[in-house]
Formats: sequence, structure tokens, C-alpha cells
Amino acid sequence: MNTGQIISAVGHAILIGWMVFGGIFRTEQLPIEATEVSVISGEAYAALMAAQDSPTSQNEVAQPAQPVADNEVVDVPASETLPEQETPDSAPAPFADDAPDVSELIPLPDAEVSDAAPVLPTPEPEVAVEAPETSETPVPQASVRVAPEAVTAPDPEARRDPVEQDAVEPAEVGETVVEPQEATAPEEAATEIVTEAEQPAAAPETSLRPPPRRATRPAVQTAETLEPAAEPVAQEQSGFPAVEDALAEALGQVTETPRAPSGPPLSAGEKDALRIAVQDCWNVGSLSSLALETTVVVAVSLTQDGKPIVSSIRQVGSEGGTSASANQAFETAKRAIIRCGTRGFQLPSDKYNQWKDIEMTFNPERMRIK
Amino acid sequence: MKLTIKVILMTGALSMAACTNAGKLGGGAGDGAFDPNAAGNSGVIAGSASDPASTAYFQQAVGDRVTFEVDQSLLTAVGRATLDGQATWLLANADYTAIIEGHADEQGTREYNIALGNRRADAARSYLVSKGVPSSRMQIVSYGKERPIEICSEEACYAKNRRAVTVLAGGLTG
Amino acid sequence: MMVRIFIILMALVMTATLSLAQQGPLRIEITEGVIEPLPFATPNFVAENGSSVEMGAQLARVVAADLQNTGLFREIPATAYISNVTDFGSVIQYPDWKAINAQALVTGAVNVSGNNLTVKFRLYDIFSGAELGNGLQFQGTTEGWRRMAHKVADAVYSRVTGEAGYFDSRVVFVSETGPKNKRQKRLAVMDYDGAGLKYLTDSRSLVLAPRFSPTGDRVLYTSYETGFPRIYVLDVGSVQRRVLESGEGSISFAPRFSPNGQTVVYSQATGSNTDIYTMDIASGRSTRLTSAPSIETAPSYSPDGNSIVFESDRSGAQQLYIMSANGGEAKRISFGQGRYGTPVWSPRGDLVAFTKQSKGRFHIGVMRVDGSEERLLTASFLDEGPTWSPNGRVIMFHRETQGADGRSTLYSVDITGRNLRPVRTPEGGSDPSWSPLQK
Repeated sequence: MNTGQIISAVGHAILIGWMVFGGIFRTEQLPIEATEVSVISGEAYAALMAAQDSPTSQNEVAQPAQPVADNEVVDVPASETLPEQETPDSAPAPFADDAPDVSELIPLPDAEVSDAAPVLPTPEPEVAVEAPETSETPVPQASVRVAPEAVTAPDPEARRDPVEQDAVEPAEVGETVVEPQEATAPEEAATEIVTEAEQPAAAPETSLRPPPRRATRPAVQTAETLEPAAEPVAQEQSGFPAVEDALAEALGQVTETPRAPSGPPLSAGEKDALRIAVQDCWNVGSLSSLALETTVVVAVSLTQDGKPIVSSIRQVGSEGGTSASANQAFETAKRAIIRCGTRGFQLPSDKYNQWKDIEMTFNPERMRIK
Repeated sequence: MKLTIKVILMTGALSMAACTNAGKLGGGAGDGAFDPNAAGNSGVIAGSASDPASTAYFQQAVGDRVTFEVDQSLLTAVGRATLDGQATWLLANADYTAIIEGHADEQGTREYNIALGNRRADAARSYLVSKGVPSSRMQIVSYGKERPIEICSEEACYAKNRRAVTVLAGGLTG
Repeated sequence: MMVRIFIILMALVMTATLSLAQQGPLRIEITEGVIEPLPFATPNFVAENGSSVEMGAQLARVVAADLQNTGLFREIPATAYISNVTDFGSVIQYPDWKAINAQALVTGAVNVSGNNLTVKFRLYDIFSGAELGNGLQFQGTTEGWRRMAHKVADAVYSRVTGEAGYFDSRVVFVSETGPKNKRQKRLAVMDYDGAGLKYLTDSRSLVLAPRFSPTGDRVLYTSYETGFPRIYVLDVGSVQRRVLESGEGSISFAPRFSPNGQTVVYSQATGSNTDIYTMDIASGRSTRLTSAPSIETAPSYSPDGNSIVFESDRSGAQQLYIMSANGGEAKRISFGQGRYGTPVWSPRGDLVAFTKQSKGRFHIGVMRVDGSEERLLTASFLDEGPTWSPNGRVIMFHRETQGADGRSTLYSVDITGRNLRPVRTPEGGSDPSWSPLQK
């Protein structure tokens, strides 16, 4: 064994070691399996989707709901007699306690809802939210909507609709911080809740105050883990050229062919675009504080044009909180996926295989009391 | 010589008349309204501020209140001097009792201000006790910030509101 | 030799590559979202007989106001509806509601016959295309219609947010008129939204800081009717009151019930010192809990009844302390610049609300019970006296404006600091206390 062979053996060992063990550190697997892709007409596809989307009809009795004749009406005490009041002025009267009774109705059966390829008419610009009722005390009002990206009040002409995003394709892998372009006309938003106590001088100009927590973003993580993946391949170039070439060829042969329908790995930017798209509809405003401590993992399958298949949305894991709060968190996540996916997420169709099944982890840790 | 005697006699008569008149006034007052407290005083109306045994006198001449610094219940030098006068008065007018009211300005929360007013009232009472006034003649109460006398929201008003007021009760005249 | 190594390497490479060929789903993590009011629609409740039409509209208005005023929901006005609900049992046209961006739909039905009132409702999750939870039915008298609307709103609120509701509740407070140096104060009780106001005392005596019992049937308060501040218990139903006797020649104030309603914790001033005491209501026996020479006051129980948070100036300025409900060593929990007072323990047990004075301003704030995560929610000339909603999500307090014309108004704010809004009362208002959720 000469020096060259030793170096080559070591290099190969590194390569093989990386290939076998490197997968542990990867956050995602590259789909390699060959998939047959056939082209179908638009109508056939719509019919396919309609068949999948229609809700399962229930087996319950199709009777009109009869209100339960309730015999246990709670005793409503008659107005109590007024006690004699000595004082002439303002005799405070006692109160009749009207405790309402609660009982359950028979649930209505779900009728067949014709839900063929839902075509949404363009939504109207949203009506202005409650105008301040009193101006007794000037309260510095933060904007009604809080979102990760600050948006100053948009052009009133523009439709305020999170679905109407024009997400610009961001930069390639290699840049550690990826900043995709802002959508065209989302609703005015601040990045933080501004309480009266914080006393902003004017309407929150959040461009002046970059949100402190954005320094580390998960997109960065995935970008970074992809980086080291590139390096060993580059490093490996030295050494035994013949074996190298043969190895590279073998690698290329085995890995590239199945990837042809899937294309190169999804760039961090493309993943970011998906993430931002879902983010914009993930409304945690009405989540309980317990649900805000609960992380849920939601699986969803998408059609080729990027629309979520509603029936495929399911909870595959949760962390923290109780099962009730996990359910709450799941429902909110589901709503986010459905709402922002009605027009289809912006994902490269040539990489469909890589994103046709997605698992989204909704972690509200940063959203708690923003 | 006759003129001089006349002048002397006239002058004597006049001076005696003055004396008689003064005597009459004093006697008249004594006859008209029996007022033992007014013995020896001339021109005094009972119960008014000129009556040293009246509450009005106590309030205006002696001074019925002491003020405090922000958040403090320590007596100031002026406060102690006023209380000295109160102690003297109370010892001289033994048929009065007193309720000392403590107050605070609005720059505080409700419960704490009641407690602070109480401290101020008690500071005044303790001082009077130390000057010999029997504590059985005095009670304390606190109104916190509920009874300001000045209502502007500035230090000039606040300074007047931070007070302990000695309110008299009892006695034969108002 | 090399050929053998090469073949082994190739085999390893192939295995490795094939192991990579397992397909997995794309994984992404969502960590940022938006906070925006959830759009909902509440068409008028369907009248099941002729006499119920107006009631149907009124019920829907109260439900919509309850939800919208939380700041977490936004009502879509009826003018935007595409399809309407004319029959409680009919199927919902989900696309019509999706089109106007309604995410939740509340439908109801009402039946008025004589003095009897029956109210039903259903809640629909539009984007999931299904009902959220089961429909419910309430029965009672027509006089209690507002409470039924509040109960509907509570059900909707808790199903959507996961929090318990708080709309079917009341607030007792001090209603006040007149200039600052001649304030007339009397106790009043109303629904949390201001409806159904009734006075409980007249204004002849100064009354302060009323507090509800855990069952909402009694009110503790401080009154000067004897010339000295004393604690009274008032029965809300009969408006009868009695005094809680405390030590002779002392001043007592700042009372609160324990969570089991059997004990009152309060402050008593004896001599120059103010300390915290408890009294067993049944026996009248009192126990002294603190004996420091400083001022200890404004005590408040934890929801489990085991601890008491209070304010004390033993460190030189007012700060917050927690001790066992039996007294003993107290642990300081507030450490910021300024003075902390009027602590109130949240019904969820996780937070303490308080009044803070700092740099000439007053703030309502919250902190965790270990003193961490202090957050200020408001700032003004004079904010004070927080009280918690039954679900621990909203705080009510009062705000006094400065100057000779100063006036006191009740306000409410969400614990995130959002949705600060006044609570309307006929006269000025102060010292609010929120009842528990009514059964």
C-alpha cells in the first residue's frame, strides 16, 4: 500500500461514512423512488379532486332535529318580595335569578354538499374593523393584525387577502439568511403587540424595530444543514481519480435517475415560500394560553397544483399541553393550511414528488404574548 | 383761681365718668350673659374665633392641622410647633375630645393611602400624648385620599392634602 | 487487492444510496403566525313563533357584541351575507360563508311563549365544513334573555379559543359623582357589559372597594357609615348587610373572601401600624397574619386558598409579597423600579395583576407568581385596582383623569395588553370586582 492508496482509502471511508451516517443529521430525506407521471386533462383532474373532497355522508338518522322536550326546567324563582326599605331614596331591589337551563340537541346530519372544485369569487376588501368608540383618552393603537412581517398600511385599492400573495422567489442555497420578498397586499400588520404601556410615538413603524427574535429562523437551520452536505462531496475530489470517477458515476447513476421526476432538492427559498404562505393564515389570536404552549405536527398531502387535500390533513404528533389544547392547536393549524392553500401553494411542479406529502410542525413558542 | 379749680373739678368728673362707664360696660356684660370664660376679657363674643375656648379659635388661631412630606408620616418642625399649641389648648380646655383625621394625596393606591393617613393621624396623636394630653381623649381615623380639600393635580394642592386634622368634639360651646 | 476493496466500497455505496432512497415527507416548521380577529357571522336567531322575531335579533346582537368586544373576533355584518339562515334545521351553504370570509358561523333559534323563553344555537366551522361541537338549548324566563345570549357567546368563545368563557358574569363597583372634594359614592352591580345596573347602597356614607364572594352571592366592602372604616358583608339578593366586627378602636378595610367563601382576609390598623388579619365568618374569630411595623395591606388569596399575595412597604417602598395563608415568612416577588400595590391573584393561578407607580405614572401590570415576566399593560395619570375576569384572560380596572375636573371611568384590557376599552356606566366608576361565571 502506498501513500496514494492510503489517502484514497481514507477518502472513500469518509465518503462512505458520510453516506451511511450523514443521514442522521439531515432534517429531510430526499425522495429517490421513481414515480410514474402521466398527464391528465384539467377536467379529469378536477373530477378527481372533487371525488376526494366531498365529505363522507353520515349514517345518522335523517330526521329534522327535534328539540328535546325537556322536563327538567330549572326552578326560576319568582321575583323576591322587596324588603321594606326605611330610607326613601334609591331603594335597591333584589334580583330574580334567571338561571337558564342547558340541554343538548340531536346533531344535524350532514347533507351532501356539492363541493366540486371550489372556485372562490374574489373576496371583497375587508370591512374596516371597529372604529375607536371614544376618544376620551388617546390610546396609541397598534394595528389590529399582528404578523411576523411588518406591513405598513397597504394601498386601499389592493385586496386585503392573505391568499393573494406574490411571494418572490428568494435566493439560492448558500446564503444563510433568506429574506423572501413581501407579499403585495396583505393587511396592515405590526410585528408586535404594542401595549399602551410601551408608548410608541406614532403608529408602529416596525421597519425601525426589527423583531429581535428573528435572528434565528428554522429556514436558516435547514439551509445550514444542507451546507455541510455539499462540502464532503467537494472535499472528496482529491485522491484516486479512477476510482473517483467510477464512484461518481455509480452514485450519479443510482441517485440521479430516480430523481428526474423530482428534480433537484427543494431550495431553502422554496421551502420558505411555503412556510410563509402557511404562516400568514396561521391565526393564533384566539388560541388559549395552554394551546399556545402546545406544538402539533400536522401531515397533509397536496395536489399537483399545490392545493391541500382537506381529508388528508391529520395530526401526527403533539408536544406539551393537554390533548384538548393539542386539538385546539390542530384545528387552528388545519384552518391555516386550508385557507392559504385554496389557490394552491407556490411550489415548483417539477419537484412535486418532494412536496406532495408534507409534515408541518406548528410551534407557537414565539407567538406567546408577542 | 376759680377757673383752675373748675378745670380740675371738670377733669376729675370726666375721668371718674370714664371709670364708671368702663365699670358699667364690664358689669353690663356680666349681667347680660353669664360667661365665666369671658371673665377679665373685654369685647369677647362667646364661641367666635376671638373666644380662646372655642373650636373656631382652635382652628384658626392655634391651627388644627399639620402637613407632611410625600409618602411621609414624620412630623415637621412646623408640625410639632402647631401640635404644641394644640396640646396646650387641649389641656386648658379639658372638656373637649378630639378625633384626628389622617389624609393622603391622590398619588397612591387606595388601601395604602388609608394606611398612610392612619400613620399620620397616629403620629400627631402620639405627639400630643407625649405632651401630656390623655390618649383617652383622642381617637384617630383615616380617610386615605378620599377627602382632599384641594383638587388640582399639582404639588401645591397635594401638599395641603397630606395632612392630619384635629377635629374637636364635646365642650359646652360649639 | 485494490479490486476487492473497490468492490466492497461499491457495495457499501450502493447500500448507502439505497438507504437514502427511502421517501419521506417534506418537513417544515411553522413558528410565526398572525394574531388577528377571527371573522364570524351571527345572523338573527330564527324566530320559531311570531312573538320571537325581535328577541331573535336582540339575542344575536348581544352574542355578536360579546364576541367582538373581546378583540379576538370580528363580526361580518349582515349586509355582506350571501345566503341567510331562515330555518334553524336547514343545511348550511358553506361556500356562501367561505366567500365572505366567515370562519365561524353562529346560528340560533328562539321561542317565546308567555314568560318562557327557549334558545337554541349551533356553531359551524366554515373552513372545515362541519359543526364545531354540538348544538345546545337553554330554557328560562324572558327576563333572563341576556344571560342566555351570554351563555351562547360563552359556548362559542370556549369552543373556538379553548378558553373558558366569561360573558355570563357581573361586576360590582363604586358608582361615583361630584367633584373630587365632594365625591358621592355608592355601590352598584351590573352585567359585565354594563346592562342591568342596580344600586346596592345610597350615597350617604363613603363606600370603597367592593369584592364579590366566590359564588357571587355576597359582596364585602368598606364603609364609613359609623365614622370609621369598617367591613360589611352584603347579600346581593336581599341587599341586607351586616358589619364584620373587628378590634375595638381600630380601622379595618381591604377585605377579600377566601376561595371557599368562609374566611375573610383584611387589613386592620391599630395605632400606627397596619397588618393583615383573617376572620372566620361563621365564628367571627380573627387571626393576625403579619406583625411587621410596616404597612401590610391589600391581601388577595390564590385560587387554591393556600397562599396570600399582599403589598408591604417593609423594604422602604410598596412591594409585593407572597406568604402562606396561615401567615409566616413572606417572600418578595416584585423587584422593579417603582411602587407596587393592589395585587390580585388570577383565577387561573398563574399570574398576579397589580398597580405600579413609576416616574409619576400609574400602570396596570401582570407578573408570574414568582415575580418573573413582569409586563405593563396600561399607562396613564392614574390607573388602579385591577380585577380578573372569571377565565383569567381580561382585566378590569379604573382610570382617573387629572385636575379639578378629574373623573373616574372603568376600563377593561386583555392580558396581552390589547383591546383597551372603557366600560360604560351612568356615572363615574371605580373599584370594580368581577364575579365568577354564573351557573
